[in-house]
Amino acid sequence: MKIYQNSNEPIYKQIASQLREQILTGKLKAGEPLPSIRILAQNLKISAITTMKAYEELAAEGLISSTKGKGYFVSPQDEKMLIEQHMRKLDDGLTEAIKAARVLGFDLTQTCEFLRNLWYMED
Amino acid sequence: MENVIRTNGIIKKYKGFTLGPVNLEIPCGFSTALIGANGAGKTTLIDTICGVTGKSGGECVYFGDKTDIDDAGLRNKIGYCSSMCFLPLTWNVKNIAEAMEIGFDNFDRNKFNAFCNRFNLETTDVKKPKRLYKMSDGNKMRSYLAAVLARDTELLVLDEPASSLDPLARDVLCDIFREYLAEGDGNRSIIFSTHNIADMEYATDYAVFMANGNIIEQGFVEDLKEKYILVHGEADKCEKAKPFLLSCTANSMNFEGIALAENLAKLTQLDTAIEKPNLQQLSVGILRKAEKDGK
Repeated sequence: MKIYQNSNEPIYKQIASQLREQILTGKLKAGEPLPSIRILAQNLKISAITTMKAYEELAAEGLISSTKGKGYFVSPQDEKMLIEQHMRKLDDGLTEAIKAARVLGFDLTQTCEFLRNLWYMED
Repeated sequence: MENVIRTNGIIKKYKGFTLGPVNLEIPCGFSTALIGANGAGKTTLIDTICGVTGKSGGECVYFGDKTDIDDAGLRNKIGYCSSMCFLPLTWNVKNIAEAMEIGFDNFDRNKFNAFCNRFNLETTDVKKPKRLYKMSDGNKMRSYLAAVLARDTELLVLDEPASSLDPLARDVLCDIFREYLAEGDGNRSIIFSTHNIADMEYATDYAVFMANGNIIEQGFVEDLKEKYILVHGEADKCEKAKPFLLSCTANSMNFEGIALAENLAKLTQLDTAIEKPNLQQLSVGILRKAEKDGK
């Protein structure tokens, strides 16, 4: 896991987003156990309260769940939720893009043209 | 068990200084830092909790239901380390190990030697190890810490363990804290006092701030970082920002202070730079407020 200690993004958010990515892309499979908050803290050289907050955030999103006394496990992801998660990501990214386009003074056609070029460049 | 220590109005009276009444709940399974100016009462609180000095009043509950600190079974579970030299200075690591073996049945000599190695100290296998009075303050503290850590305890109470250590040893200490907690898997806790907040931040889960013998703020570090914001701005904005700041310092060019996060919107309007504070910045802000209020 990659952690920036002097970043503006809180460390717990960095951990949560990396785990989220691994769960949504299927790298971490349903039912897989996550390291305990204190073991993860020890390995990342940060406080246990930080890893706990990261897990709590993922649990609130339904991505992981805790079993009392046994720690956290990856929850089974239903199709609908996965789609929702990716839609949200698309929404966030495009909202940012629109902001930048407005700063540049692009209209919708220009912005779409830009997107089209970028789209085919990816291939 | 949610709290490893719960104090119900403990008071300790000295001539010219009174601690408390302190009502405090220290979470089990985490590392708690006591933070405060010199003379705030950190050592008094630690010594009162550990039964090193008697209380003038109140009650302290350990591990959920135990109240008698003189009980050998309870004392066996607690590893206490004072910030002052508490072992005879003519002793060396061999004497320390021998004394600990007599005093505690959960002392492990192999573990002690392993900690001595990690702290770059001589082990008990050395023929004539250095005596404490020939050691630097840092190495004395390393010896005391190795002795306490070599016991199988459930609670460590350490008074200023980091202050005499060099940066490398502090990093080792942070690693050891996290290891200790990880091995306990929720059943081991640490309480320590410190002025070296920046060095200990990533080994601190819960913070208790003290001033003038009282607790002035406490909470999980992640929660405190959301409760407060750090505000910087140009000096001409200072007067307008001041009503929202808990404490601040200013010079002819800039000002800096902390505020409650609920004032974020108002302070943003004043064209100030707002950040999430780290524990060091938070501590300075909170202690500065306490100093201001105390005057």
